[in-house]
Amino acid sequence: MIRNLKEVKDNNFDITRSAEEVRNLSFNDHVCLGCGICESTCPVEAITINAVAIDSRVGFETYFSGHDKISQNIKEAPDIQRVSIDESKCVLCGMCSGLCPVDALVLTIDGTPIKEIEAYPHYNAFSEIDDDECIYCKRCEVACPRDAIVIERILPDRADLVTGEISVDDEECIYCGVCQELCPAEAIVVDQVTGEESIVIDKDKCVYCLVCKKACPTNAIKAICRACNYGEYDLDPAKAAVKGNSVIDPELCVYCGWCEGVCPTDAAKVKKPFEGSIEIDDEKCQACGACVDICQCNALAFPVSSGPGSRMEHVIAYNDYCVRCKACANACPNDAITVKRTAVDHTPINSTTWKEALDAIKD
Amino acid sequence: MPKHIASGLKYLAAVKLKDAGKSHQEIADELDVDRSTISHYLNGRNLSWNSIDVARTIIDLTPRDFLRMAEAIFDEPEQSRKIVNICRERNFEAIVEDSCIGCGLCVNACTMKAIKLESLKAHADSIQCCGCQLCSDECPTNSIKILEI
Repeated sequence: MIRNLKEVKDNNFDITRSAEEVRNLSFNDHVCLGCGICESTCPVEAITINAVAIDSRVGFETYFSGHDKISQNIKEAPDIQRVSIDESKCVLCGMCSGLCPVDALVLTIDGTPIKEIEAYPHYNAFSEIDDDECIYCKRCEVACPRDAIVIERILPDRADLVTGEISVDDEECIYCGVCQELCPAEAIVVDQVTGEESIVIDKDKCVYCLVCKKACPTNAIKAICRACNYGEYDLDPAKAAVKGNSVIDPELCVYCGWCEGVCPTDAAKVKKPFEGSIEIDDEKCQACGACVDICQCNALAFPVSSGPGSRMEHVIAYNDYCVRCKACANACPNDAITVKRTAVDHTPINSTTWKEALDAIKD
Repeated sequence: MPKHIASGLKYLAAVKLKDAGKSHQEIADELDVDRSTISHYLNGRNLSWNSIDVARTIIDLTPRDFLRMAEAIFDEPEQSRKIVNICRERNFEAIVEDSCIGCGLCVNACTMKAIKLESLKAHADSIQCCGCQLCSDECPTNSIKILEI
């Protein structure tokens, strides 16, 4: 049996055991939420959570999340692995990976992630964007706190939205270039070289605004805009529509629900793995910002300032966008945050210990 | 010398199989030995009584020592597994408790290949169990109990 732990760049780690089957546990620091579920469920106590949050008032006082709330004075933002593992204790059972609400810890058995193996539990959570409903407005892409959404927008041709007629009378044109300089759509190219003068209008770019016609000193340009002349005219709706693709990166998505919240249509749908609530005790909150710093869902924020000189007294929580991961409650030095997990939705499972571990996630 | 002791163990295995009612050919197939060698063994024409004495002593060791010795004497793990299964005098019951987390360390530890992982829990086949307890030593949650029956 061969075991090895290798340090991988960017605070990730990787443990392998090769025998009857090859088991590999890898940790991806930039995906980790700092929720600490892995630490509390590890049956051999091999995992320690070090997720850090910074006091934004002073910039260098750091709160380590976890059972011990230590504050440390350090000068720079710390580069600390969110989760560390004792490789001599780890038995690669995969409980941390199975219960990780994101894909930060991944156990593979003979190359297959346990999230694809039926015997292991899976959270019933999903996020999707329905291409039939999506209008590719990119509101979700901007709102996504983890940059997990990429919206690729395919615009219709301008010529399919505005139509008209335009032509230049070569007899009249003096190739002065006024029209080229004024054209807002950059549709006109005039060549002024003596003896080789020419003017070309790109009808795919032209929006028939008629600026060139009105500015032409010799009235050489003849143009009409169909929309202006004939009123509303029929467009080919298939050609005029904005098309595109929307992709959610399943590795980065934490099911926070921002995309669903900002979506103007019903295209974005999110189902969270945990049901519950978040509350901030305004009496206890000192507005240090450690929670705002650690929250990966932008579910915590300082309220908008009510004017110069106003002091921010406490942080506000957006209950709808909280994933109940508890990273904020772990980081809060004043115990001001209460996060409750009332339900954990997962696939059925046979093992007693795994069932107990999943039940222990609930409050 | 190891070859002599291997023959001694094979002799004892052959006698046991004979007592269980197997034919010479069946015994030869089982132990991967010529049929004529088996006939020699069972007619009392063995290599030496000394090596058989040593083999008997090995069988009487603790289950784990017997298994380790057999592994050292035979090149093929498949063969040592067979010899241990045929020659061992003691029977065991292997119980996996519900506290099992399904880490699979016992599956790797079990030389007798008696443990399989199913639905996140180890399942031990008591018939194959030689009582070495290597699995329960490895188990991080102390979920495996080996009882002699």
